[in-house]
Amino acid sequence: MDIDVAQLVLPGGAPHPDGLVKADAPVGFQLAGLKKRAAVQLMASRVWGRFNPNHWDPVFAHETGLSAPIQTGEMSSAYIAEMCVYNFGRFFFAGAQVNCKYISSIAAGEVVTTHGVIREALQIEHGTRFTVDVWVDNDSGDKKTVGVVTVDVTPEGASK
Amino acid sequence: MTENKLDAAGPATDSLRPMTELQRQQVRSFVTSLDEESETYWDMVEIGDVLQRTLTISPELVILYADGVEDFTPWYEGWKMNTWQIEGASPFGAAIVPPMMMSHFILSVMFDHTKPFAAGSIHTSHESTIHGPIEVGATVSIRSEAVGKFVKRGRRYLGHRVTVTDVESGELYLTETREILSR
Repeated sequence: MDIDVAQLVLPGGAPHPDGLVKADAPVGFQLAGLKKRAAVQLMASRVWGRFNPNHWDPVFAHETGLSAPIQTGEMSSAYIAEMCVYNFGRFFFAGAQVNCKYISSIAAGEVVTTHGVIREALQIEHGTRFTVDVWVDNDSGDKKTVGVVTVDVTPEGASK
Repeated sequence: MTENKLDAAGPATDSLRPMTELQRQQVRSFVTSLDEESETYWDMVEIGDVLQRTLTISPELVILYADGVEDFTPWYEGWKMNTWQIEGASPFGAAIVPPMMMSHFILSVMFDHTKPFAAGSIHTSHESTIHGPIEVGATVSIRSEAVGKFVKRGRRYLGHRVTVTDVESGELYLTETREILSR
């Protein structure tokens, strides 16, 4: 079972306020993911990697033992968060936990995809606490970032 | 990616982006300046060190952050071309800050930013809790405490525990533990 992506995005591009993962979503439910390219121009921008040339300068990266400039891990976390906001809506901003490990580098130019699968659905007082396995991999299926997200979702019409 | 230029000495400055000699010189000069008289992250931090800074999260800063990861979620737009600063809209009222944005800015608080800092460290993991949405325009306090310093397989790691709170109301927005691999 997975999400009807056509309903995931409201006119104008915003997420549905409550997301589309309902409180009765089953274990195994797959989140709708995102695909991004590690563009070196973005990796080098001032609010991202400019202060650390490992993120954009091939010469400095080579000198520190890297085969190519690598993305900051926080870019992966931002991709995972964007996926979660579209799937869980406002619930992602209310006590969600995001644990990520950057297990392999994302090199400049690589294309990566975010994934999320519900591992556990625990009934709690105000709804359901979902534990979601999340990861980012490249087009060869090599995992780059792995993690676990926990989100509490309240049933439609109920208040938390 | 653009053409890959690699010789025996390693890749060229312009191997990933087209550059003139002027641009290559800009890059080499900037990178050299980063390493002048700097200390490594490992040498700058001791367990128990507490550092704290405040940050006003302007609409423009949010746009710069979000554009860098191609996140065009309208909820984060407190600034639009032509209209400039706007209130914006989200399920919480006005525009809000992307959920992991403050996590990204924590690095700037984990060491004494007034001293030269050797580039080259790598963020390896984080465990974060998003306690509530942050309205665009809020001023937050980011507090970081060094809680671990260890060597694993010859690599030097540092751990920090961090809180992000609203300066005016004291509301807790984010808590996080994170590890950095030092150069």
